[in-house]
Amino acid sequence: MIVQQKIPIISCDRVSPLFCRLRFFSHRIARESYPGNFVHIRIHDNSSPLLRRAFSIHKTGREKGTFDILFKVVGQGTKLLSLKKPGQELDVLGPLGNTFTLPKRSNLDVILVAGGMGIAPLFFLASELYRNNKSDSLKISLLYGVKNKDEFLYIKELKDLGIEVLFATEDGTQGFEGLVTNLFLNQIKKSKNQKKTKIFSCGPPAMLKVMSEYAKEYNLNCEASLENHMPCGVGACMGCVVKHGKKNKLEYKRVCKEGPVFNAREVWLD
Amino acid sequence: MPGRCGLTDLSIKIGKVKFKNPVLVASGTFGYGEEYSEFFDLNKLGGVITKSITLNPREGNPPPRTCETPSGMLNAIGLANVGISSFIKEKLPFLKKLDTRIIVNVAGSTLEEYVKVVKRLNRTKGIDMLEINISCPNVKQGGMQFGATEESAHQIIKAIRENTSHPLMVKLSPNVTDITQIALAVQEAGCDAISLINTLVGMAIDSETRKPLLANITGGLSGPAIKPVALAMVWKVAQKVDIPVVGIGGIMNTKDALEFLLAGASMIQVGTANFVDPKASIKILDGLEDYCENNRIKRIKDLVGKLEI
Repeated sequence: MIVQQKIPIISCDRVSPLFCRLRFFSHRIARESYPGNFVHIRIHDNSSPLLRRAFSIHKTGREKGTFDILFKVVGQGTKLLSLKKPGQELDVLGPLGNTFTLPKRSNLDVILVAGGMGIAPLFFLASELYRNNKSDSLKISLLYGVKNKDEFLYIKELKDLGIEVLFATEDGTQGFEGLVTNLFLNQIKKSKNQKKTKIFSCGPPAMLKVMSEYAKEYNLNCEASLENHMPCGVGACMGCVVKHGKKNKLEYKRVCKEGPVFNAREVWLD
Repeated sequence: MPGRCGLTDLSIKIGKVKFKNPVLVASGTFGYGEEYSEFFDLNKLGGVITKSITLNPREGNPPPRTCETPSGMLNAIGLANVGISSFIKEKLPFLKKLDTRIIVNVAGSTLEEYVKVVKRLNRTKGIDMLEINISCPNVKQGGMQFGATEESAHQIIKAIRENTSHPLMVKLSPNVTDITQIALAVQEAGCDAISLINTLVGMAIDSETRKPLLANITGGLSGPAIKPVALAMVWKVAQKVDIPVVGIGGIMNTKDALEFLLAGASMIQVGTANFVDPKASIKILDGLEDYCENNRIKRIKDLVGKLEI
């Protein structure tokens, strides 16, 4: 069930000069959200900016009834959001969209591939995978790429989860020098366990395009969480579509409704 | 509800069709109704207008299809829809169960296509009215070109009129020299109401990449940005025609809706506001009722065209 409600902000933290984390209080959204879901947030009551903004759910505190979003301050909407104060209420729709498919099988290699803000939903996913993996039947690793090392977030928290983290920076300031998709390709080529590997990816469109190409080329079991402009967020406007399907039978799917998580072999990004 | 005692007669008639109140939701902003049924009781609405339906399914334009602009948005969806057969089989059953008026929006690439679609709907129960879209700015063939001249608008509405028993509302484009002439032409062709305005042709460019923000390059502008244009056109058309006018264009709240009624609209359609707030239409309706009760207006139709000049 989708909820539209005015919910209070509990905290608004600058986790680094560029990134902001908002924590909201809503038992219902906290309880009903799973990795991949998103919320659609009205920034304020006037018309500039007019439309809601969509954010992946980044974390939940189910006992306390909280959930977090994480974002980079890039435009007018995120600027205004970053200035919100605890106690202020925002009109939020959610949880929306589908979710990542948590692996049911054991003895799997799980690779998370995050580009930039793609860490937001993948951190939530990593936490859930870790929570469900007490018997250590999954081997979980995260490939995390940004432009410059200052953009890495949650390095300590990720390490505390006990998952292997490999870093990539475009300028070579930390870890692998180059795009995270190149690091991924190296890893997957080395892997002797490709058939038993489940991949989850999220990041900018150019990165996901490459991931979907690799998924097709190497026949990988890979899910990609897409982003798009979403005027309505609930499947009504047909604005946020992506080309989807088998090569000879393509159709448009709504990122907000059939997605945002898709089989990477079935999405066709420009 | 505090202060709301149900004393006001909110009903409005278009031809023989009685609507319980003047608030409709605009085509293309409300899917096929189901998407918003999770948020409020659709039976409260005066009516639901479907997405444009064409003869065959249409996949629509390539993405990106939308972008935000100052106090508005551009869209170039391109009439993506399931086509008339799937609409009747899969989408209409849900709408039929509602206790509100169902208006099917019809679009096409050729005059023959419009006629085929309305003929199919003649045999279909559960439809109260058709809205004929001769004003879509985002398709290569048909759409807006039918609404661009008096002759073509008259010709297509006359052909549709001769082939359907359903009451007709015709949705006009603002992208014309004189919208009142088109309005008179479609009235003459026999329609029962005129809805206006569809979106204004607009464009947005990313100066960094030097690319248009929409794959279609241009799109249709909607939202608060177009409200003054819409109000002026509604007012002008309402002066000229004898049939009811339905106001559309940037209606976000009760105050906006009242302005359209005063300008001469008998009913209003809520469009882009649905995206901003799924409950916008119902909030506007409640606000209209409050306004009438607070101002001792017994019948909302008494407000229509009461602009004081």
